[in-house]
Amino acid sequence: MTGQRDEFLSEEDLDLRNLTEAELNAVWNLWFRQAQATNDLDAALYSHGVFDVDPAPHPSSRLGGTGPRSQESAHRLLNG
Amino acid sequence: MSNPYLDLTDEFNQGRLRALLSSGQAVVVHRLAIMSKDGDWILREDADAVGHVLRVLAGKGAQVRFGAPLDLRWLAGGWSAHLEFRREELRFRTDFVTRPPRIDATRLARMWADAEATGNEVVGIEPLAALKLTNREKDYAVIGELARLMTDPRAQLRYSRSSFDLLELASKYPEAVVEVARQRPLLGQIAAGRDALDEALDRERRMLMRVNEERLGRYLTAAATWREMWPEVQREIEGLPLLEANAIVTSRAEGVLPFEPAPAGAP
Repeated sequence: MTGQRDEFLSEEDLDLRNLTEAELNAVWNLWFRQAQATNDLDAALYSHGVFDVDPAPHPSSRLGGTGPRSQESAHRLLNG
Repeated sequence: MSNPYLDLTDEFNQGRLRALLSSGQAVVVHRLAIMSKDGDWILREDADAVGHVLRVLAGKGAQVRFGAPLDLRWLAGGWSAHLEFRREELRFRTDFVTRPPRIDATRLARMWADAEATGNEVVGIEPLAALKLTNREKDYAVIGELARLMTDPRAQLRYSRSSFDLLELASKYPEAVVEVARQRPLLGQIAAGRDALDEALDRERRMLMRVNEERLGRYLTAAATWREMWPEVQREIEGLPLLEANAIVTSRAEGVLPFEPAPAGAP
């Protein structure tokens, strides 16, 4: 045995197994909240299933709900 | 503290097991990586499951995204249905299938039986690895780690993405290699050494990605007219409650979106 092995995911990813249930949920929720920053970019895209691109994504797929406020929020988060 | 996708799964399963949390969120539950912000569930293919999920999501003000209607006739043909709702600044995407890819009827029945027996609402490690055989490179990294979580060496031999791991498994379980090689031809390269095995793993990954691309291509071709119609359908359902919107989407899809795509190789 050489002790070598193929690495597929980062240490940070694999460290999830060392978290308590509450810590895992906290990290998961924070990640989800931060990932909203890309809503504008993936409004038409799909992560699952048999479709690839939405031909007419609803405006509320972008960040911040519907209406002008969402556009402001999206701009703020995407551009700092 | 809980997680909204776990909470949603509980709501879908109130009173009866109807939905298994799948894909990226299931990977988190198995504590490997956080890679997706969208939710994906395998639903039971019955009217109660579809009706209950629609009512739960209607209560959250969800709307229909472009996709197949959340209706058993399309779901039974392997189509996916996509809904979305917002809570404050958060966007929740909820994607559903009843016939997940690469899971045959026998295995699907076993998944439901296992879930019933254990009360576990999350897709298990081995079927999750099968679901992850997609056309996305990053999914193969997840499969590599999922295989390491499998307790049955035969399952590890079926899914491992590591030549190191496969060589080690082969040295410990030579009889299992012979058995699994019938399902996974690359195991025949184990005797040829690590380089040959790595090449075979790369080739296998590219082949699996192409198979999935071709599968998706059949659905995209079958949905071409529905895609053209969608902006008009979406205007029609704008602002309507979900149950009403889904009924309109279903009615508009009839005769336009086939219940099943044409089989591979069909003209």
